[in-house]
Amino acid sequence: MRSEDARREILSAIRENLKPRGIAPGSAVGSTGSADPGPATEGPQSPRKSFRAARGSKERGDVVSSFTERLAADGAQCTVVRGEAEAAGALAGILSGAGARRVVGSDAPLVQRLLRPLRDRFEMAALDRLSRDDLFACDVGVTTAQWGIAETGTLVLESARERSRLLSLVPPIHVALLSTRCICESLGDGLAHVRQADSHAITFITGPSRTSDIELTLVVGVHGPQTVHVLLLEDL
Amino acid sequence: MSFDRDARAALADGQLRGALRHATTLFGERRRAAIAEVPDWEGARDRARAIKDETLLHLDRYLEQFAANAERAGAQVHWARDAAQACDIIAGIAARRGARTVVKSKSMATEEIRLNAALAARGIAPVETDLGEYIVQLAGEEPSHIVVPAIHKTKGQIAALFAEKLGMEPSDDVAKLAAAARQALRRRFAEADLGVSGVNFAVAETGTILILENEGNARLTTSLPRTHVALMGIEKVIPRFADLEVFLRLLPRSGTGQALTAYQSLLTGTKRHPADEGPEEFHIVLLDNGRSRMLASPVTRQTLACIRCGACLNACPVYRQIGGHAYGSVYPGPIGAVLTPQLLGMGESAELPYASSLCGACRDVCPVKIDIPAVLLHLRAQAVARGGSTGTRALLERLAFASYAAVMARPRLFGWLMACARRLHIVPPLGAWTKWRDLRPLAPRSFRDEWRAGLRHEGGR
Repeated sequence: MRSEDARREILSAIRENLKPRGIAPGSAVGSTGSADPGPATEGPQSPRKSFRAARGSKERGDVVSSFTERLAADGAQCTVVRGEAEAAGALAGILSGAGARRVVGSDAPLVQRLLRPLRDRFEMAALDRLSRDDLFACDVGVTTAQWGIAETGTLVLESARERSRLLSLVPPIHVALLSTRCICESLGDGLAHVRQADSHAITFITGPSRTSDIELTLVVGVHGPQTVHVLLLEDL
Repeated sequence: MSFDRDARAALADGQLRGALRHATTLFGERRRAAIAEVPDWEGARDRARAIKDETLLHLDRYLEQFAANAERAGAQVHWARDAAQACDIIAGIAARRGARTVVKSKSMATEEIRLNAALAARGIAPVETDLGEYIVQLAGEEPSHIVVPAIHKTKGQIAALFAEKLGMEPSDDVAKLAAAARQALRRRFAEADLGVSGVNFAVAETGTILILENEGNARLTTSLPRTHVALMGIEKVIPRFADLEVFLRLLPRSGTGQALTAYQSLLTGTKRHPADEGPEEFHIVLLDNGRSRMLASPVTRQTLACIRCGACLNACPVYRQIGGHAYGSVYPGPIGAVLTPQLLGMGESAELPYASSLCGACRDVCPVKIDIPAVLLHLRAQAVARGGSTGTRALLERLAFASYAAVMARPRLFGWLMACARRLHIVPPLGAWTKWRDLRPLAPRSFRDEWRAGLRHEGGR
């Protein structure tokens, strides 16, 4: 129970240090000074409104095109397709173009549907029986993304929706399926859309894994994927 | 620790200074380009600072709220009064979980508590997985920059290090070096039982922690091992989930000049179903270690607003010349010069508040507008007040300032002394200051004389 003692000590040290100084003890001001917090939800206004006002709202098409522009600037690939049939064809093209042998798909129904016809062309790792070594041996991980953020070219993956946390990270190539309807304009919009309470892990992904730790020379794919390919599904 | 000696050694190292100049200049340029994209950068700085100020004024309340929400989501929250307690807690978790190998993602707080040494002493092998930190650990050195820990090493030195420690073919190809590290670290990730990470922001409203990174090692550290321990200073808490927006705008741009780093992990409690990915246990260690003391005055309190971007290092003319090691502390540069003496106490680091020319470049670039020069002056006053400087030099210094005050308060005495100085061509002895600089000779006639004479020489010199 040392942690419980430490908790009490830390909190009382904080309160002690936040007490206003230079006021005689026992005076009315001294006991109800700035250390008395207002409701925890008050305070400075959330910054989101003013950011949006500063930029103005964009048309849907503009949001999608600024998303794809940012993706390119971040070093991610992007293919725009209409409908699932076209998506399946594009996915097969991406996989064979990358020389993929072992592919692992998430448990998202869309991913399963798109990968099913490709079973005889690529070795498919089974997600349910995937050991750490199996996962490390995969060339491509295929997942969906729940949201895109146009401002930064970011993909948002929620753990409550599918098992995508490791598939989007460990294999050298990550293919993410995203509907154009799910592209938000700004970072603030993205944060407002994520279903935070449902997901123990929400991951924001902007381009491939990168490092500049050696002489500030950019290298992609240091711990995570070297290639991030977004398959963007337009509404039919 | 001797700042003076170590700074001189760094100044004599031409290779180090070249690397520092290149890195700090590049980061400065990238930062400027990145903030130019933001429509209201100044407004964002003000809002971020206001959020931090409000949180710090009610820190007890927000910490309790954060801990309650994190626990509700399945995390186990621990409180550590100091570095030793934090190390004990983390080593205790490792022992209970039977961990032999611990993978770590970059965390200044773990450096602060010297976690690696504490784990190694208990027979547990800590492995740094951030590429820069990994290089520094392999070399048996300390990080020299908050954001780029191995900024002081050339690729040639790193190639020799990897050849020796990892048995790779010596190569100057940076991509090959990174690939060798990836391969070596994948093995460590596969065998690791415990992952230790830092925390960039902790949201009171939801119990969420946020970790920013570029490499993906923090994602691996927090998702592969069975147990994840996150260590955070108590000042990392912010009130609301929506507050993350402004900080995500400020931190990457100030740190690396990116609009956003490659990855943000927002972690709330443990996995909801056994079949889900992620650790079975999630521990959060809240570290005080001198922080609550800093709340006492508004001057020192602002130190706790720091979001560890490293912009002040890149802007500082002192850091740009000597790098991080000369500071002899975990936190280098201007922020280190104010943070270290407050965390460790003046006894350990009384020299650091003097490691600055007070030019204010750090204050100008700080994304949360910390007035670092004001804190430096506050700490210098403390260092003098506690009599840290004793002996003849301190006595002379006190005498000099007392005489200065006496003269400046008496106009006639001042005039008489200046007249003497002018006649005798004396320049006051300013010690070290005049060692490297020339003082302008006194003008033949003083301003006061000119004034009294009715500025007759107006227009001519």
